[in-house]
Amino acid sequence: MTTFQLILYILIFLPLCLLFYRLTPQKHRWKALLGFSIIFYLMLCRELSLILYLAGAVLITHYIGIWLAWLQSEEQREIRESADSAGKSREKEIRSRYRTRARGVLAFGVLLLLSILAGLKYYNFLIRTLSEILNGAGLSSSLSEIRILLPLGISFYTLQAIGYMADVYWGRIKAEPSLAKTALFLMFFPQIIEGPICRHSDTAEMLYAGKTPERTDFTAGYIRIFWGLFKKLVIADRLALLVSQVFDDYRDYSGVVVAVSAVAYTIQLYMEFSGFIDIVIGSGRLFGIRLPENFRQPFCSQSAAEFWRRWHITLGVWFKSYIFYPVSVSGTVKRWNQYGRKHAGKYLTRLVTSALALFPVWLCNGLWHGDRWSYIFYGMYYFTLIILGTAIEPVRDRVLSACHISADSIWLRSFRILKTWLIIFTGELFFRADGLKAGIHMFRSIFRDFDIGNLWDGTLLNLGMSPADFAAVIAGCIIVAAVGHIREHSGSISTRIAGSSLPLRWGVCYALLFALLLFAAYGDGYQAIDLIYAGF
Amino acid sequence: MKRLKKGILFFLTFFFLLGLCSAAASRITAGCRGCVRGRSRVFAGISAEKKDSLDVIFLGDSESYTSFSPMDLWAQHGIASYNCGQSSQRIQETYYMLKTALQTQSPKLVILETNLMFRDPGLAENVLLTVGEPLRFYFPALRYHNIWKSVFDGPKTDADSFKGFPVHSDIEPYTGAKKYMQPTDSVKKMPAHTYLYMDMIRKLCAKNNASLLLVSTTSPVNYSYPKHNALEAYARRYNIPYFDLNLDDRAGIDWEKDTMDKGDHLNLSGARKVTAVLGSYLMENYSLPDHRGEKKYSDWNTLLEQYQTAADRTENG
Repeated sequence: MTTFQLILYILIFLPLCLLFYRLTPQKHRWKALLGFSIIFYLMLCRELSLILYLAGAVLITHYIGIWLAWLQSEEQREIRESADSAGKSREKEIRSRYRTRARGVLAFGVLLLLSILAGLKYYNFLIRTLSEILNGAGLSSSLSEIRILLPLGISFYTLQAIGYMADVYWGRIKAEPSLAKTALFLMFFPQIIEGPICRHSDTAEMLYAGKTPERTDFTAGYIRIFWGLFKKLVIADRLALLVSQVFDDYRDYSGVVVAVSAVAYTIQLYMEFSGFIDIVIGSGRLFGIRLPENFRQPFCSQSAAEFWRRWHITLGVWFKSYIFYPVSVSGTVKRWNQYGRKHAGKYLTRLVTSALALFPVWLCNGLWHGDRWSYIFYGMYYFTLIILGTAIEPVRDRVLSACHISADSIWLRSFRILKTWLIIFTGELFFRADGLKAGIHMFRSIFRDFDIGNLWDGTLLNLGMSPADFAAVIAGCIIVAAVGHIREHSGSISTRIAGSSLPLRWGVCYALLFALLLFAAYGDGYQAIDLIYAGF
Repeated sequence: MKRLKKGILFFLTFFFLLGLCSAAASRITAGCRGCVRGRSRVFAGISAEKKDSLDVIFLGDSESYTSFSPMDLWAQHGIASYNCGQSSQRIQETYYMLKTALQTQSPKLVILETNLMFRDPGLAENVLLTVGEPLRFYFPALRYHNIWKSVFDGPKTDADSFKGFPVHSDIEPYTGAKKYMQPTDSVKKMPAHTYLYMDMIRKLCAKNNASLLLVSTTSPVNYSYPKHNALEAYARRYNIPYFDLNLDDRAGIDWEKDTMDKGDHLNLSGARKVTAVLGSYLMENYSLPDHRGEKKYSDWNTLLEQYQTAADRTENG
């Protein structure tokens, strides 16, 4: 989605949907939402046939859910019947039999969805890797890459679909009997492009209820949308000028310039992704639907692990719920736990258990972002740092205690935050670089010709951003940091403003609107920037 | 009902505030033309011209501002003109450019370079331009929203532009067919929105007693006979004079020297040749006053000297 399409969405599509939604009787409103979602998807699809993948995912998800529900009801029926005749041992056998069948059905559904995702997203990556291996071995390869168009939002709706099937399997939710309602859950238009990745229990009830939104929902929704636009158009799209110049011609730059570009990209990514999520959450709120938060002041984090609890929260929660926990309670990990306690000691057992459960999480995290080795490296980078953090925790606690330093002292907290920033900036450098080799080259080039004076001698002004652009970015970041500080300590600001007096409400709306109209990076000298995460 | 009233009041207040910002933006741009950058500079430029001082207004895309030099028209015939061409100008912009010009000027002739009549940016952008251009016209704060940047970046000098004509010295020869206008009966189709906006432009010209002239500049990359046929048919249908420089050899364009980008645009040398032919055409067909020697236009002579200096510098390498 380009900035241009985003503006059309906010100015034309969203108001029309709202109007139609309010005119529709409550019990049919969910159908209106489904209709908007289909229209929205068709409008953004580069090829109409790509909607077939989404339709396929909806069918698979829905009918696997129905199948699992049918198995559960059959299981209950057999248990009821056996209770009259054979007793408890028979019940155990029935449960085990149905558990195996249900597991098979779930695995079938998950594999089906994953193979579509993998086929579309990783086929070329596999071909490239195989060709490189064969070439390395001196063999020629007849395999060639093919042009594949990724369906919009496939990485997001696939995870949501898998989560739904797993929740039905575990009995956390009941299977949705209506195919159309399952479709709406998977393709609700504000969230289809970049998430947040919702669980059925998060949103389904609100989506289907069609309740009339309250006045505060309307005001809070629009404030959130304008706030998101501010982050994207005033800050992120300006930084994109510098970031693309340095990363696209990375061989021409070194030292401070590369370091600044890594910081700039991190801020750009945060402002853009969290800004778009603000627009998504605000859009949902206009219909009275509260979507889960995806960011919670990530730059306040004191460790890499905490960063991932505050950054792209719904992805982290998904991995935790559907990979980390199942692996943690799997037979292999249980067996290791038993063996470790006897032979390796508590510390090592805990460490290896964490590693066993976290490794697939971070491998999947890397792979989810795309078909590049640099993304896999990105996942492994955080895996290593988090395991290292766990490994040195006892030593660190002992050192702090010996030095009589409080873990809550402001100096230590500040040091930890700065350390986490370094970790984040380095990670994003590899994430944005054009491949792993480019990432390594850029990282090494930071230490070449490093001259701190480049920060103020005008060097940075030759990177696509003018002094005015830097001023707008710095002022914008200060405002975002101040709002983040209030959110961190007092909760949602948009809801509080929506419930405040009219002059304050309108004042905030006008301030945001005029900040956008006057200071956004649009018009001469700027280009419309595509959403970064929509590409994943 | 109460909520509806509140909603209306919200928007009225918003537009009132936007109006205030627009008045401020217009005042700032009038006093500091260098504060406006990029394509919007043309709007600021034409708005800053002395009231009722122009007899000819040029409209069009880059083909216009690289082909027609107002300072040459002034030097040769004393015609006071301004080139309102913008790079990739869309016809919606053309219409509002003309409206902007007509706020302060009463031209006798409006010359439209025709290349933009074939431009179709697609449905979405057409919708956005159709909605956005009137908003930018009535609320100039939206057009000049970047003027705050000059506080940090400093104003940009206007020295490279002579009544909308920038001096381009680059030479990149055109090596294609010299006879690119091969007669044919086929007709290039113009997009539907062109007809709509051309109607509006014609009516606006008529309302302001300005004649409209369609001109196709010399450009082997942009023009062909099917385009000529379409334009000739359009001009005939609405009784508008049409002058196709691609079919007029008088300019004597040397494609080795007179283009800056392989036949897409003319450079200074090409523009001066084409402007000379257009000047003769205007003198033959229109009664445009010669303002040379008039006190009101004394600053034109100063600008002409600067233009000659820039042109001499360019022509002498």
